[in-house]
Amino acid sequence: MRFVDEFRDAELGRAVAGQILSLVEPGRHYKLMEVCGGHTHSIYKYGIDDLLPGNVELVHGPGCPVCVIPMGRVDDGISIAHTDGVIFTCFGDMMRVPGSHGSLLDAKAAGADIRMVYSPLDALRIAKQNPDRQVVFFAIGFETTAPSTALTLKRARSEGVPNFSVMCSHVTIVPPLRALLESPDLRLDGFIGPGHVSTVVGARPFEFIPLDYGRPVVISGFEPLDILQGIEMILRQLAAGRCEVENQYRRVVPYEGNLRALEVMAEVFELRPHFEWRGLGFISHSGLKLTDAYAELDAEVRFGVPGIRVADPKACQCGEVLKGVIKPWECKVFGTACTPERPIGTCMVSSEGACAAYYNFGRFARDREVV
Amino acid sequence: MSEDCASEHCITCGDIATPMTVVMVDPDRGLALCEADDGTRESVEIALVDPVRPADRLLVHAGTALAHQEGDL
Repeated sequence: MRFVDEFRDAELGRAVAGQILSLVEPGRHYKLMEVCGGHTHSIYKYGIDDLLPGNVELVHGPGCPVCVIPMGRVDDGISIAHTDGVIFTCFGDMMRVPGSHGSLLDAKAAGADIRMVYSPLDALRIAKQNPDRQVVFFAIGFETTAPSTALTLKRARSEGVPNFSVMCSHVTIVPPLRALLESPDLRLDGFIGPGHVSTVVGARPFEFIPLDYGRPVVISGFEPLDILQGIEMILRQLAAGRCEVENQYRRVVPYEGNLRALEVMAEVFELRPHFEWRGLGFISHSGLKLTDAYAELDAEVRFGVPGIRVADPKACQCGEVLKGVIKPWECKVFGTACTPERPIGTCMVSSEGACAAYYNFGRFARDREVV
Repeated sequence: MSEDCASEHCITCGDIATPMTVVMVDPDRGLALCEADDGTRESVEIALVDPVRPADRLLVHAGTALAHQEGDL
């Protein structure tokens, strides 16, 4: 038996589900947000919501890095990709995110040299192999991915790779959570905290949630039992009237995070005054840019990106989905005009997006029995 | 998930990391050759988790090891 099997054991899962059932008060509705898109994916892949009492509702948060990239940012990337002599590199999911005039995949079909990479290090390798071309890496992601970009930028500078640059669209997790907690149309009872972001930032950055907003947070892993136990720990806090940050994912997440990663990020990145999030609008101090010391490797400086703001398509309700105000199936275009093959909104692009997770795993249970 | 990406969770597209085993360490370049459970191999930045040794289990995201793993996950 692999170690992982224990975290997928159906019997143990049902036992935790039984504990969950014993902790909920009949007649009370519990709204818990899983912050991370990886959790959303696991919840629908394993049918975790089917094991929960009907009055425990899971709300899908903004933690899918692809889903929060606004159209204007995609347009900026495409404008760089169409520049003569440029090789534009990005992660696979980013290729299909629609901009206002098509996706990066469409731009590739129209002749731009756009290549999928698995890491920023791959992009740097392409730059070394093509010294006569400008190689740009479109960096997206939360604090899980940002250290990788930061290390690659340091490596590019120390190895002297002048034809490499980064279009930095990294974001940080705390500001959107604060924005959601301030949102008047969303009432949440607790948070399933992001597992792998927390390997980098630790548990401390989430302490403001219980302190300022009186909501429990449990940082959880991604296996079915991790998520169920995370939910059980939140409900146990609520039942006992406690409210704190707990760490279910101790086998990977240290309370202080990865100090070396935080150090390298602080050296390479600084906070933008504000950054636009799809569906959530502009959020102060939520995006990262390169520090002045790394400005020569900043693609936005090197290529002078237009930086135009583009409104989301009217039919798309990604914003409401990202805020957990509506369920994916309640969007007007879900599964009809908007599918993973032809996405209108970003939530349908990535496997971590709430809409794609619903669509791919056929999780359409809309009326569960209420306890 | 990208159509070009064979894994269920794209190693890089989402903010979810993948467990890998260290096969070989290149200390001069700060890299390690690591193998995922499906046999895929890639060069991984180890600056954030150094020192590492062959057979160590690392949590890898976007080509960078973020943490040592206590268990198999």
